[in-house]
Amino acid sequence: MTSMKEFEKRFNALIDAVFTELYPEEALAVTYNAESSFFMRFNGAKVRQIGTVDQQSIGFKYCALGKTVNLGLDLSGDSFKDADAVCAAVARMRDMAALIPVDPYQAIPTASDETREEFPGKLLSEADIVDTILAPADGLDFVGLYTQGPICRGAANSAGARHWFATETFIVDYSAYLPNGKAVKSSYAGREWNGADYRAKLDASRRALEHLGKSEKVLSPGDYRVYITADALAEVMPMFSWDGLGERGIRQGESAFIALKEGRKSFSPKFSLTQDFSLGIEPRFNSDGESAPSSLNLIEKGKLVNTLVSARTANQYGVPSNAAEDHESVRSPAIAAGDFDEACALEAIGTGIYVSNFHYLNWSDTDSARITGMTRFACLWVEDGKIVSPIKDLRFDETLYAMLGDKLEAVSKQRSLIVENSTYGGRALGGSMIPGILVNGFTFTL
Amino acid sequence: MTIDLKRLLDAAAAACPGAEWAGLRRMRTSARYFLAKDGEFEDTALIDSDGALVEVLYKGRFGYAAFADFSVSEAARAGQSAFAAAKSASDRGVFTFDASVRPAAVVRYETARKLKAPRSADAVYKFLFDACGALKASDKVIQTQAIVEYEEKDIEIVSTSGANIDQKIFIVGHGLQAVARDGDVVQRRTANGPRGRTMQGGFELLDFPALLSDAKIIGEQAVELLSVEDCPSDTRTLVLAPDQMMLQIHESVGHPLEIDRILGDERNYAGSSFVKLSDIGTFKYGSDLMNISFDPTIPNELASYGADDIGNKAVKTYIVKNGTLMAGLGSLESQVRSGKPGVANQRSHSWFRPAIDRMANLNLEPGSTSFDKMISSIEKGVFMEANRSWSIDDYRNKFQFGCEYARLIENGKLTKTVRNPNYRGVSSSFWRNLCMVGDQSTFRVYGTPNCGKGEPNQDITVGHASPVCAFADVEVFGGGK
Repeated sequence: MTSMKEFEKRFNALIDAVFTELYPEEALAVTYNAESSFFMRFNGAKVRQIGTVDQQSIGFKYCALGKTVNLGLDLSGDSFKDADAVCAAVARMRDMAALIPVDPYQAIPTASDETREEFPGKLLSEADIVDTILAPADGLDFVGLYTQGPICRGAANSAGARHWFATETFIVDYSAYLPNGKAVKSSYAGREWNGADYRAKLDASRRALEHLGKSEKVLSPGDYRVYITADALAEVMPMFSWDGLGERGIRQGESAFIALKEGRKSFSPKFSLTQDFSLGIEPRFNSDGESAPSSLNLIEKGKLVNTLVSARTANQYGVPSNAAEDHESVRSPAIAAGDFDEACALEAIGTGIYVSNFHYLNWSDTDSARITGMTRFACLWVEDGKIVSPIKDLRFDETLYAMLGDKLEAVSKQRSLIVENSTYGGRALGGSMIPGILVNGFTFTL
Repeated sequence: MTIDLKRLLDAAAAACPGAEWAGLRRMRTSARYFLAKDGEFEDTALIDSDGALVEVLYKGRFGYAAFADFSVSEAARAGQSAFAAAKSASDRGVFTFDASVRPAAVVRYETARKLKAPRSADAVYKFLFDACGALKASDKVIQTQAIVEYEEKDIEIVSTSGANIDQKIFIVGHGLQAVARDGDVVQRRTANGPRGRTMQGGFELLDFPALLSDAKIIGEQAVELLSVEDCPSDTRTLVLAPDQMMLQIHESVGHPLEIDRILGDERNYAGSSFVKLSDIGTFKYGSDLMNISFDPTIPNELASYGADDIGNKAVKTYIVKNGTLMAGLGSLESQVRSGKPGVANQRSHSWFRPAIDRMANLNLEPGSTSFDKMISSIEKGVFMEANRSWSIDDYRNKFQFGCEYARLIENGKLTKTVRNPNYRGVSSSFWRNLCMVGDQSTFRVYGTPNCGKGEPNQDITVGHASPVCAFADVEVFGGGK
């Protein structure tokens, strides 16, 4: 496996090689992604697929004479071959730039600061992974993925910025099933493996399964009191990025929050959302080498106070950039804690549904910020403050202006750090700090 | 640069002499992407990927290692890593496989193309700017967007048992979008949904004059949607255009029939299925009009190929015949695990992901009803086009889908346009309400390049072809609070 130190050495060597190739009229921003990962996929507490991935890639934004070209390529890890490849990439971008139109809102990278963060971990020996992860789950119908290894991100630009972020992490992302099809979902993630903590997680999952053995209650569509846990609310967070709070999307009609921006709608004063890098789980720098503010309030007590603005959008609309990525998605989101004690959740529901997880959310109507999705895993029917049984899964269709607005009764004071577990294209960094919420009259439709 | 894969395979195999079998899959892709908005440059991207994945088999377990350095020493290291992984699982595998699930096939495949040379970038941007102009039907269109993208993919597989596979896939796609606004109402209209027009083929797929005509219609329809009513909320006959049938087939037929889902592999992420193994061969999935095929042979369809990524030759197979479920979408691994018939569909998105059961091309075979006859036979219905929203439960049963554009059907005629058309249903009963299937004249090929699944995650190209279809008694509704 390749170490963080080795990846950093390669990144620095490539940066030095590629910037040497530039002429004065050219500017370049570089991003570097690398991981050396062990994956074990399991089903029924047995190994389904197992292997390793050594993966590095580099991305460029080339700017010259008003033209902009983006280029991405995989790297081999051989320093000579990769140096040749990145220098050849400069030539390819030059050739393409000659053929394409001028970029009217070109954002030439100008940031010049440097940062370096490294978080070593204490991970399992690869030979021990199978037994360490699966043996404690014996007796459980245990499904999921174990991942470990270093993840690295680098960014640099021709104005002098240079950033490095590297971390060694593991995550057991799992669910445990009963024969009746009901399940609990959980995860154990961190930088230093602790077998006792892992076994404690599994024990908590076993206890949670005890509620799910009863016959499920079939509920009719309608409005219900619900407590939505942090794990469930975390599924809603991507909706603030997809047709979300990006300035460009709002201006161009590709956002569900146009009414929020224009003051026609607001959320509850109990709801505040921040882009908060003090969570320490992903870097502040973006692909242009700019550092985002450590903390950026997006929604404050229900009102939109900031959108996400990339350098290019800033040029296009004459608004200040806040170093958002070009896709203007929310990074490192944190919902403000409330004053409700989550230990009182069942009592506060009274009669209604404890929503442990959501599944497969999508916009059903962006003009009204309405989303649809399903309940999943250990959602429970509660009567008079007591758990009665699991529920048959339900579909909801509700506007966020109600869910986080006029139907929002309380926000918990406890929050959970929900670590990002996506592995599309590579292991993602990041996560979100999320409370639970109590909602009255949440609309289920099927 | 020519890489001697056999030499690398030999190095990987030599590094783990205890392995019973070893295979090497190299996957190279080269993609180009050109985007314009509102008649101006927006983005140009060139994306290249190249790497390999070695698999070894030891005591019934496969281990893998993905790497991108094509040196003999790195191939040997990867072989050792894959072997160590397989060995560590030797006491705890879900199944004891043998090399029969890695056929020693010799396959050559290349996408059929008429025009192989790409258009120059400046010609592409001239088209994109013209398309933006055509999309701008009025001042109410606040954003126009036009995209051209193309990708070459080369997949080579060799193995110690003699597999020798080389497949060259060429994909060309384009997209057109108009966003219109009037007051508080914003509507989007595209060319058959986001990335719906992504196909295998050559540059003959970029018929710029025809696409400019399409752009004009898309822009006009975006504006039209601003002034029409919402789709009514009631139960009626639902008629779906092929560009929404694509999504309907994908979510409520394709995914539930992936055998690895039925076996429980996906329960932590993408979910399971309402279909049980015992249903294969007996379950009445839909009405007698429902005939679904796994068809890797349609030239332009996105997921046509000669063999899957473990080397199994791909042949057309009926999955649902006259409404009865005949086979699952399960690869050789799933077939031996389940004892059920399947297809050649163990596929990977990239060099750094192991192959798993995926949809490829999954199509609804044409029936015998013309479009005019279908519409004229419906007293109260709605005809929906172009997917824009999709959500379904983890057993693939309760779904809700939305489209961009719809027209009411009243007393046998298409009447007024409505906006925000949505519908919901339950897969296991929805398909039994399939009451009419269009004939060949409405059969169209669509697909999507980004179906997501698997742990670790990966997305994949899929194709779905279908005629226009009608479903009885479907709950439909519109937008708003």
